[in-house]
Amino acid sequence: MNSLNIPVIKRLIAKDWLLFQKQLAAHVLAGAFALCLLGLAKPWAFYLGSLLLIIVLVAASCFSISTSLVNERRDQTLAFVMSLPISPLDFYLSKLAGNLITFAVPFLVLAVGTIAVILFTPLPDGLVVYSMLLFGHILAAFCVSLSVAMAVESEGWNIFAMISSMVMINPFIMGLGQIESISAIARGPDIIFNAPVIAILAAQLVLSVALLCLTGWAHCRKTAFY
Amino acid sequence: MTAAFALTGIHKRYPQFALEDVTLNLLDGQIMGLVGVNGAGKTTLLRILTGLVRADRGTVQVLGLSMPDDQVAVKRDVGFASEDMRLYKSQTLRWHMDLIASIYPGWDEVYARDLLRRFDLKSEQTIAGFSHGQRVKALLLLCFARRPRLLLLDEPTTGLDPVARSEVLEVLSDVLRDDSRSVLFSSHNTHDVEQLADSISFLHRGRLIASQDKERFLDDWRRIVCHGAATPQWPEIAMARRNGSVLEIKVRGYSADMPERLIAQGLVVDSVDPMRLEDIFVTTVRAGAVA
Repeated sequence: MNSLNIPVIKRLIAKDWLLFQKQLAAHVLAGAFALCLLGLAKPWAFYLGSLLLIIVLVAASCFSISTSLVNERRDQTLAFVMSLPISPLDFYLSKLAGNLITFAVPFLVLAVGTIAVILFTPLPDGLVVYSMLLFGHILAAFCVSLSVAMAVESEGWNIFAMISSMVMINPFIMGLGQIESISAIARGPDIIFNAPVIAILAAQLVLSVALLCLTGWAHCRKTAFY
Repeated sequence: MTAAFALTGIHKRYPQFALEDVTLNLLDGQIMGLVGVNGAGKTTLLRILTGLVRADRGTVQVLGLSMPDDQVAVKRDVGFASEDMRLYKSQTLRWHMDLIASIYPGWDEVYARDLLRRFDLKSEQTIAGFSHGQRVKALLLLCFARRPRLLLLDEPTTGLDPVARSEVLEVLSDVLRDDSRSVLFSSHNTHDVEQLADSISFLHRGRLIASQDKERFLDDWRRIVCHGAATPQWPEIAMARRNGSVLEIKVRGYSADMPERLIAQGLVVDSVDPMRLEDIFVTTVRAGAVA
């Protein structure tokens, strides 16, 4: 197996970062506004803020994938990138790293911001656990969408994967509400990671990593890159 | 002399199209024109050479290395521009030039600036504002200024206005003067191929139907107009068309004794003319035979 072309991979990651940085800044700003609403600790502001926060996170994840992968294929810039001295694995790693970085920036800023807002306002601290589960779902949904975008060329399937995986947050929230041991933590003053919470977080993480590994394996076996 | 590339027994099947058993070589420093109608398989062949598409069967050697296994090393020395390849619309040409310069150590900035001037391109303009011709010229600039050993150009002059086409052909001629550089360019414009290529290959419906030196190609073919009643059925006659007593024949593998042989058949030879590449190509395709 040939070694990775690290300098070019880095250049491609930097290229994607440069292409998306303005939109990412907009996502972070919108997310900060949502956190401000949450920080008001009023019922209406909490509802509006959490809704806006989820919308921003979904938009950030979809934007990064659709711009760096789906649009690249549609705009026929993929052939230009693949004509550079890179292998399919180099391309996969550059897209994986590029997407994870461009998603991770708003994701981590908003995740840390959310936890900080919960901890430093009258909101119950147990919401930290609940919000981590929601962020875990969004991370897993992002990985599903990213994997589909890497593996499947159809724009329709990519949109379907993005929308359906993100929309699943609704039943996920409802499901969490049905698990008494979790909903009780969310209402309480303590941050408790009990067995169901750890199991769900572990499942989200394993699913995300497994999907990305599987996609890398599949990508290296593709026969066309244009 | 080593081969710039060597394709052996290449097969690639799509639902509506198949490239079948293509064996083709290009020697170092040579310029090959790949001629074929739309859908003949020219783009697929070029994509296989650049690693954008993997062949189902057959072997691909480019610059002495195996494709797609050694594609990273190969692509360092290959410049590829395709009609359907696009640049990032939101970015300027300068941004693309900087990107390529940061990846290819051989990037020649002085030459790039010269090409900017000759192609009348503005480096600070975003690609979205470029016309089709300007986009093609920008792509070629990005290819040429990295000074590759092998240039693979897919329809470089298609869709260009006469001025842009002339500019591109002029620069291409300059590039081709460098004997160490090999070029394969596809086109359905036989005039461009005739003007630039050392050797010519015809591709039709996924099959290579002819490949040889341009001069030999042109020497081999003649259009003979004669009159008389006989219509010879010789294997070297690719096409014979009769209009009353006038017989027009197009001959592959022309030999100097052919007029005498025609006369011996009772025909009067009116003219023997060399054929243009376009005519040879059309005749070959219509005859469905090897040129």
